[in-house]
Amino acid sequence: MSSHAKAAAQFIKNTERTAWHDQALFFVRQKRDNVAKNIDEWEVLRTKASQIKEHTVSNLEHYLTTFEKNAKANGIQVHWASDADEHNKIVAEIIENHKAKKLVKSKSMLTEECELNHFLEENGTEVVETDLGERIMQFLKLPPSHIVLPAIHVKRQEVAEIFNKEIHTDANNSDPAYLTQAARMHLREKFIEADISMTGVNFAVAEEGAFVVCTNEGNADMGTSFANVHIASMGIEKLVPNYESLGIFTRLLARSATGQPITTYTAHYKKPAKGKEIHIILVDNNRTEILKDKDHSNMLKCIRCGACMNTCPVYRRTGGYSYSYFIPGPLGINLSMLKEPKKHSGNVSACSLCYSCSNVCPAKIDLAEQIYKWRQDLDKYGEADPMKKMVVKGMKKVMGSPGLFYAAIKSGRLINHMPRFMVYNGLNDWGKGREMPVIALKTFNEMWKKGEVRSNESSKNK
Amino acid sequence: MNSREKILKKIKSFPIEKTPMPKFDVKAIASEDRIEAFKQSVKVVGGQAVMLKDYGTIDNLVTVLFPDVKRIATNLEGINCATENPDNFSMASMLNGVDVGIVEGHFGVVENGAVWVTQAMKHKALYFISEALIVILDADQLVETMHEAYKREEVYGDYEYGCFISGPSKTADIEQALVIGAHGAKAVTIVLT
Repeated sequence: MSSHAKAAAQFIKNTERTAWHDQALFFVRQKRDNVAKNIDEWEVLRTKASQIKEHTVSNLEHYLTTFEKNAKANGIQVHWASDADEHNKIVAEIIENHKAKKLVKSKSMLTEECELNHFLEENGTEVVETDLGERIMQFLKLPPSHIVLPAIHVKRQEVAEIFNKEIHTDANNSDPAYLTQAARMHLREKFIEADISMTGVNFAVAEEGAFVVCTNEGNADMGTSFANVHIASMGIEKLVPNYESLGIFTRLLARSATGQPITTYTAHYKKPAKGKEIHIILVDNNRTEILKDKDHSNMLKCIRCGACMNTCPVYRRTGGYSYSYFIPGPLGINLSMLKEPKKHSGNVSACSLCYSCSNVCPAKIDLAEQIYKWRQDLDKYGEADPMKKMVVKGMKKVMGSPGLFYAAIKSGRLINHMPRFMVYNGLNDWGKGREMPVIALKTFNEMWKKGEVRSNESSKNK
Repeated sequence: MNSREKILKKIKSFPIEKTPMPKFDVKAIASEDRIEAFKQSVKVVGGQAVMLKDYGTIDNLVTVLFPDVKRIATNLEGINCATENPDNFSMASMLNGVDVGIVEGHFGVVENGAVWVTQAMKHKALYFISEALIVILDADQLVETMHEAYKREEVYGDYEYGCFISGPSKTADIEQALVIGAHGAKAVTIVLT
């Protein structure tokens, strides 16, 4: 059994919650479908988005240096980090230079990747996540289970409970409007008191030396409105050449993510205000390695909308924590394999190869095709199931010999008449949690030979 | 070697086939009545768009739409109902508690109800901290899609901060239940002049 299947077994124990999780995410998927259907040029947009990213990634040196030059000319301070450690040290240094104590953060999967919060807290900085879902997860001391909807697996009663403990709301009031208002008041204070505001980056625009941060809550904008120092962290793949490219991406991002026509705030940071500072950290942390890998370099096109998770039948029914990497779903399966294949190879079995992720991806990343490729190499990573390996070896022998093949089919029919305990037991994975199909009494071959097979046309004529 | 050089050297060290930039020739459907379509889009994202002519003046509009408010902040001239000019505040935090903020937008986008604003005041907090935000917009300045939006000269202008604001602040982080008013304005009214 793969590590994903083992972890998922925990999640699916609570069937009611599994069904609720599945439906909540499928609802988001349907909202995406509805808005996508209303745009005739949707497929054109996806193709262009894919081409723009491909062009940018294939000219990455040019666009990185162009962005750096223009951002500096705008008064933005540009830093480069090879890995997570260096990124965290740069942030810590900026904090120290300003003798800062309080930091507010808007959502950033890159800082999750770098495990920044933990690092800063150990160094005595107060780190406050300001996205509502992220704040809930921070209170619960758990990582997000989805990249766009961090607390999608948490029930409202659990939010009421933790808010009661942390910010003294009424423990019996789990109304989302009430809880959101309480968080608004609580975080308003944090925004106003903050010394430093951190944000992620959705798009960095090379020709303009500007970067764009998208939120619905306005938490990134609130943060940067009060703190005098703004630190933005971005993976080097977040570049786009120009504003015209954003004409494509801003049409795709929110529609793919939540089914909205655009995020409430699409903020463009171009220059620091008088007396303020903007720092941007360009982070590699393995991205140049992905660039080298022809089979998987498409992963650098990702705009982190989460559509692949919302549509994935395995993610919806097993939740974010069943995956061994901090990013789950089809995106996480691929990124985790690019990071540490031996550690994360259990994730590649969390896929039914339905290819739905590839079909909804706004940047047309071949997510499922790549998962299929990883599976061909499972033996290399020590994850291949010995039982399945044996079965496949046996199958090869049987399929290679017609005599054995027909004998096997005949004996296979016996399963229909076997007592349940012989079919549904620990040895038969296919019989776990589901009924076995009834095996047909006659094979196609037998029917064909007896002339019992008729085409649709001839049966209609009769 | 510093990290900048290390990263750039690594990128240069392996051959990648350079692909061209695609053409920006996306054809989108145009609406028959831009103003009506824009109003509809603003409604979809949780805001409202009204015609100034239906109210006469901004002062009257504020009295009618927000009858019980105390603090009305703007640095725009000719708005008599304003109780304060935030440009006189030394700190952005002094804007905490503003009921209505009144600002100007450059142009609106029909497909998503967004309005492009660039910081035209001392504290950009006004855009977000106001309980209700009023954005004054010339009704002739509407574009159909984001493609046209990113061709407008105002987007390329000399600003520190620019933003497409589409309706009020919102979240659905608790059980996917939509709640208006996460951190930013709880109501956004676009006034078309």
